[in-house]
Amino acid sequence: MASFAISASSQRACSSNHVTKKQPSQTRTGRSLGTKQVSNVVALNVDGQKSLDIVEQQDKSSKSSSRTSKPNVAENDDLDTQSSHPKFNDARWKNGTWDLNMFVKDGKMDWDAVIVAEARRRKFLEMYPDSATNEEPVVFRSSIIPWWAWLLHSYLPQAELLNGRAAMVGFFMGYIVDALTGLDVVGQTGNFICKAGVFVTVAGIILFRKNEDFQNLKNLADEATLYDKQWQASWQDQKPSGPGKKI
Amino acid sequence: MASMALKSFTGLRQSPQEQQHPHFIAQALPRQQKFRVSAAKTSPKLTNRNLRVAVIGGGPAGGAAAETLAKNGVETFLIERKLDNCKPCGGAIPLCMVGEFDLPLDIIDRKVTKMKMISPSNVAVDIGQTLKPHEYIGMVRREVLDAYLRERAEKNGASVINGLFMKMDLPRNFEQPYVLYYTEYDGTKGGVGEKRTLEVDAVIGADGANSRVAKSINAGDYDYAIAFQERVKIPDEKMVYYENLAEMYVGDDVSPDFYGWVFPKCDHVAVGTGTVTHKGDIKKFQLATRNRAKDKILGGKIIRVEAHPIPEHPRPRRLSGRVALVGDAAGYVTKCSGEGIYFAAKSGRMCAEAIIEGSENGTRMIDEGDLRKYLEKWDKTYWPTYKVLDVLQKVFYRSNPAREAFVEMCADEYVQKMTFDSYLYKKVVPGNPLEDLKLAVNTIGSLVRANALRREMDKLTI
Repeated sequence: MASFAISASSQRACSSNHVTKKQPSQTRTGRSLGTKQVSNVVALNVDGQKSLDIVEQQDKSSKSSSRTSKPNVAENDDLDTQSSHPKFNDARWKNGTWDLNMFVKDGKMDWDAVIVAEARRRKFLEMYPDSATNEEPVVFRSSIIPWWAWLLHSYLPQAELLNGRAAMVGFFMGYIVDALTGLDVVGQTGNFICKAGVFVTVAGIILFRKNEDFQNLKNLADEATLYDKQWQASWQDQKPSGPGKKI
Repeated sequence: MASMALKSFTGLRQSPQEQQHPHFIAQALPRQQKFRVSAAKTSPKLTNRNLRVAVIGGGPAGGAAAETLAKNGVETFLIERKLDNCKPCGGAIPLCMVGEFDLPLDIIDRKVTKMKMISPSNVAVDIGQTLKPHEYIGMVRREVLDAYLRERAEKNGASVINGLFMKMDLPRNFEQPYVLYYTEYDGTKGGVGEKRTLEVDAVIGADGANSRVAKSINAGDYDYAIAFQERVKIPDEKMVYYENLAEMYVGDDVSPDFYGWVFPKCDHVAVGTGTVTHKGDIKKFQLATRNRAKDKILGGKIIRVEAHPIPEHPRPRRLSGRVALVGDAAGYVTKCSGEGIYFAAKSGRMCAEAIIEGSENGTRMIDEGDLRKYLEKWDKTYWPTYKVLDVLQKVFYRSNPAREAFVEMCADEYVQKMTFDSYLYKKVVPGNPLEDLKLAVNTIGSLVRANALRREMDKLTI
């Protein structure tokens, strides 16, 4: 995602106008931006609707006349093309924050929609980084969404998945251990080795969900100690390693 | 030299090295050049001369070291290749440096009292409300600061030599001096310079990130970041906004492992960014930084483009025999903020103090043990600072969600107070435990929220 955003912005910055408009839709694998048409100005009806609108394609000519590019002796290819990227637009985004009144559904606050809307805004800005202006500062803080809304939205589905996995593994391991050792479920819960095995299995399911997780955790462990090692390196050769070293 | 054994640093780690990090190799010294570590009290007293020390490099580290040495009776030679060097640098110095090094206030071009942190999704947080009226971050011009420190060293008795250090002959035994080969310039522009030699008893290598002294003692390499900066002269009405405000932009577009900045200087701003892992893309990152600050620097003219390396961690070997490295040459730049001026000056001073102590004000010969004391003191005093900043960088510059959480956390007053206290006074002060606990909970909360939003983002298509 990150390298993608950088390559998208770099292609934008280094190429000319019409190529700019074509490239992003090609490089984005499998994603379609329905409103992106070459040299079309797509105006979306955003008044009074709760529908999610994204793009307002701006004509380069109208933009560039209102901006004075910085005269730079060496390069002149990097300053003009910044104006042609789409800007984030949403009916519910007002004055740098989400208007929470517009997220009310059936008389109750719809936090899920807030979370999705904010995610969409961040994704948009990741793909088309915008300048941070003083006129419209972003003052939205994600802490405004209550903690239980996060739980309901993201944590519970994941917890359900993990619990399901743990239950399946537990059931089959119980069966297999019973077949191998003759201990039934009641007996297994009394056995220390079985309980240790349960603990390891649960930890494993939580930590290692994908194949990459193993390598990721290893890298994390290395990373955590690398800086210390780099600092200790000066002290490594203080201890003499052989009799012939001293003079 | 070819018979030297290459001790690869990766041998210390269990897993094979990742592709991203360049090799971090410590080379073993040839056997005959290792010195015995012994107490200086048994060193011979120098007859009819004082200890001679050469300081290679006349930046903050060299200037501070030379001043301390010269003030205490050591015969000091400061060798600097370009006396009017206008170095590419952020130019920020903490408040404690003004006091500790008795800097005159007219060296400071601007006093930054406000900072703005801007997240990938342009959430902007103002920090600096907790600063007391007398606290600020000083912005200096390097040429002014370096010249001042050098002149002060000269006033105290150091000989400042305008020359380029070429190489150094290491002594074969304890009594022999170090022989330095340098090219002296006589001040005329375009002059080729004369080759000269200088015999000294000890050398302080303060010659920066591409240190030749470090090469001479086989100090090893370090990972480094590239910092790229453009100085932009913006219209006066826009300059008012940056009167005493600096901005920091974080995001994958601006830098994958560092930050982009807009720092105000004397009459212009410096817009720049840096990276360790994606050095080849630095120009794109710079464009993205300019894009993010677009409205605020509109109409500006680029007056200078500069780039320089920033060490990421110390070299494997920071001293050898009677040669010690200080400042950028040793790799004393913090992570996360990339601050180096204060640590360079402080390490120069600390090394000089160790030499003074070991030589009893220049009357005795020193040896490696005395210089090790400087390393010990340095590591003990500043290791917590470096480690904390390293952890912060690893946690918060990792990915866009982490950066969003970082900016959110900066809005907290306790965080601001702790950050500025530790930055301005260079002491990691343990705060109120209850507040620390709240901070930890809030941090985890921010990270969890940001990552939850990231998972949401992955599900969406635009």
